[in-house]
Amino acid sequence: MMTLTSYLMISTFLFLCGLVAVIARKNLIAVLLGIELILNASALNFVAYTRFVNNNLDGHIFPLFIIIVAAAEAAVGLAIVIRFFQIRESIHIDDATQLQS
Amino acid sequence: MDYTISNIAPIMLFPFLGFVIGCFLVSKWEKFTAALCTLSIFGSFIYAARIFKDFVFGVYSSDYYIHKTFTWFDLGPMFKLNLGIYLDNMGAVALFMVTGAAFLIHLFSTYYMGHDKRYGRFMVYLNLFTMGMLGVVLSDNLFSFFMFWELMGFCSYSLIGFYYEKEAPGNASLKAFMTTRVGDVFFLLGICSLWYAIKDHTGVGSFTFVDMYNFLADGGYEGKTLLGMNWAAATGFLFFMGTIGKSAQFPLQVWLPDAMQGPTPCSALIHAATMVAAGVLLSLRVFPLLEAGGLLPVIAYIGGITAFGAATIALIQTDLKAVLAYSTISQLGYMVLGIGVMAYNPSFMHLITHAVFKACLFLSAGSVIHSLHDHHTHAHVQEMPRMGGLRKKLPFTFFAMMCCTLAIAGVPLFSGFVSKDRILGDALLMALDHPVYWGPAILGFAAAFLTAFYMFRMMFLTFFGEPRDKDVYDHCEEEKLSFNRNVPLLILTVFTLGFWYSGSFSGQGLVKFPGVENKEWFQTLIERPDLNNLSKFKDYTSESFSSVDDRDRTKFTKSSYDPSYGLSEEKAHHVHYWHYVGAIISIIIAFSGIFLAYLMYIKKSVNPGWWVNTFSKWYRALQNLYYMDHFYIKVFIQKGLLKFNNFLAWIDMSIHDKYLIDGWEKVNRVFYRISKRFDDIAIDTVGVDGVGASVRFFNVILRTIQSGKIQFYFIVILLVLFSYMMTLNIG
Repeated sequence: MMTLTSYLMISTFLFLCGLVAVIARKNLIAVLLGIELILNASALNFVAYTRFVNNNLDGHIFPLFIIIVAAAEAAVGLAIVIRFFQIRESIHIDDATQLQS
Repeated sequence: MDYTISNIAPIMLFPFLGFVIGCFLVSKWEKFTAALCTLSIFGSFIYAARIFKDFVFGVYSSDYYIHKTFTWFDLGPMFKLNLGIYLDNMGAVALFMVTGAAFLIHLFSTYYMGHDKRYGRFMVYLNLFTMGMLGVVLSDNLFSFFMFWELMGFCSYSLIGFYYEKEAPGNASLKAFMTTRVGDVFFLLGICSLWYAIKDHTGVGSFTFVDMYNFLADGGYEGKTLLGMNWAAATGFLFFMGTIGKSAQFPLQVWLPDAMQGPTPCSALIHAATMVAAGVLLSLRVFPLLEAGGLLPVIAYIGGITAFGAATIALIQTDLKAVLAYSTISQLGYMVLGIGVMAYNPSFMHLITHAVFKACLFLSAGSVIHSLHDHHTHAHVQEMPRMGGLRKKLPFTFFAMMCCTLAIAGVPLFSGFVSKDRILGDALLMALDHPVYWGPAILGFAAAFLTAFYMFRMMFLTFFGEPRDKDVYDHCEEEKLSFNRNVPLLILTVFTLGFWYSGSFSGQGLVKFPGVENKEWFQTLIERPDLNNLSKFKDYTSESFSSVDDRDRTKFTKSSYDPSYGLSEEKAHHVHYWHYVGAIISIIIAFSGIFLAYLMYIKKSVNPGWWVNTFSKWYRALQNLYYMDHFYIKVFIQKGLLKFNNFLAWIDMSIHDKYLIDGWEKVNRVFYRISKRFDDIAIDTVGVDGVGASVRFFNVILRTIQSGKIQFYFIVILLVLFSYMMTLNIG
């Protein structure tokens, strides 16, 4: 039986995976991937809640926006990574310290 | 014409601005400064001339005066000081004379000092000097009078010592300053005494002349004592000591002859328009007090002794300027003598006429000295034995000097005759009424004889005869008529004529202009403040400084000379008779003095050497100036003051230094230890180092947080978000 709880558990798992990736991975592309996972977890939450609580189509609109935004954001993020690589010849996140001081 | 601040104050303001602006420009633009100073005096001359015109030519009544005040500072009921302007007929005439003479002296200075290396500075000092005198004339109270009086003292100091590289001018300036200071101390005490007396009488202390006159008219001084003496006599004497110091009366006359060490134009200013005139002006202003104190015989004697003594010293002087210096003292003696014999009006008249001819004499002397050079030392020559025959080389200077000499000698038609004769005539009258005045009267007449003699001796030695120093004579350039050299002399010469002052050819109204009303403006305008008739000050209310003057002005009706002096016919006849006698005596005396000088120095039929040999003791006394300088230095200063100074020095070193200074040092040492401890611990360790340490501590913490690692920042953001949410949950 597929209940709301199981959906939420899956989305929580995805969110935590994304968070760990964002916090712990040292590869910038892996960090971007983690962000994608976090976005997908929230999109899953929207769909699950609208299916089990309201039972209408309102919650389905949001994942569409999130997917579009995520695509744009991934494009921008990757562009930043490429630019960063051109400057530093590395995509290690600890090299991105220009904001310090 | 209404008088407010805007048309009286510029008289003083122009020279003052000239001084202030000149001070800044003098080092860069010397010529411009000189022009500025001269023009500023001319500006105040214009203003003074307008006031003179209004006061003298009949817009105002004879006893009209302007009194405007403002509060300088107010310390409650105890002490309130008003300064202001007091302008009466005497002030108007004096202003006109001072500004006019000062302007001409400035003009002459541009010639005389033009090549001096401190030309501009000289002009700036002259401006300040003139401003001081104008302040004295305009002051309505003794406080500002004293301030300007001292300002003049300072200016005379710096002008007499103008050539400070040489020793003699430096010493002379100190001498002038210190000697006049003796008189000034007494004057200051007199001012204090007067203030307290007025406060005692009316409840409000005051320095103003008008309040003083009212106080005296009320008889507030009666029964008062000052240190056991009659108050009026004591205070009057204190004031008169100021006059003695400033106007170089016996026994404080020693500074004036030395004052000729300054440049000649400054001598002209000191001897004529400013410094010495201020002393006489003081006595004229406080005349009712002197009268109330019964000091007039003393004053008359001091004036007579000064007039005679200085004239005798002048007989043997060989320095051109020294003769003039002693003649100044002598003439000042006449003015003081005039005050002593209640000849208030003639005394002031002599102040004015003397200012004119003495300014001219000094400027002429400057013109002579400036054209004579010693060929070897390149110094100017001012010794009369090296002159002679200069008449041909310096015709204009000769003309001016001759007119002034005639004036000072008291030859009819000239101004000195008019004023000096009135003084002598009044002295004669007083002597007839009170035998005690015979002394001053005789001294006055004797001095008149000596004046005529020594002035013509000076003229004959300088301008007549054969040149005694051929070298100096040959190097003297022919005088050409130049604007700033001769014009001041000639203008002043015009005013040595008597009828400007008397309105008639003689002083006594003897010879009148045919068909012209006999206008003795001087006689009618300048009135003695009479203690029994001070009604004009009774309804006095001081106006504020900016108020327009709208009091009633009556048309000046007394313009024609009142021959009866307001006396009964019989009495007036008596007065006139003795005035005529005095005039005739002094004419005879003047001409006999001139004749004696002629016999001695032109015809050489009387040998001066015989007189020197016969009266050798007196000659030595004269050469040593009656041993007065000797007395002051050897006895007064070395025996008296030096001992006193040593005593003071002993107090200073053995008591003050030893106990007070050293004891204070011990106290300070303890304070030093305590405060050092406090400084080390509280300020340095806790305060200064503590601030540093705390900054370093926070620095370590904050530096660790700002690592620049994005993921660390992210964790921090999450933690903050998390804690925020927790807080919301709890709330």
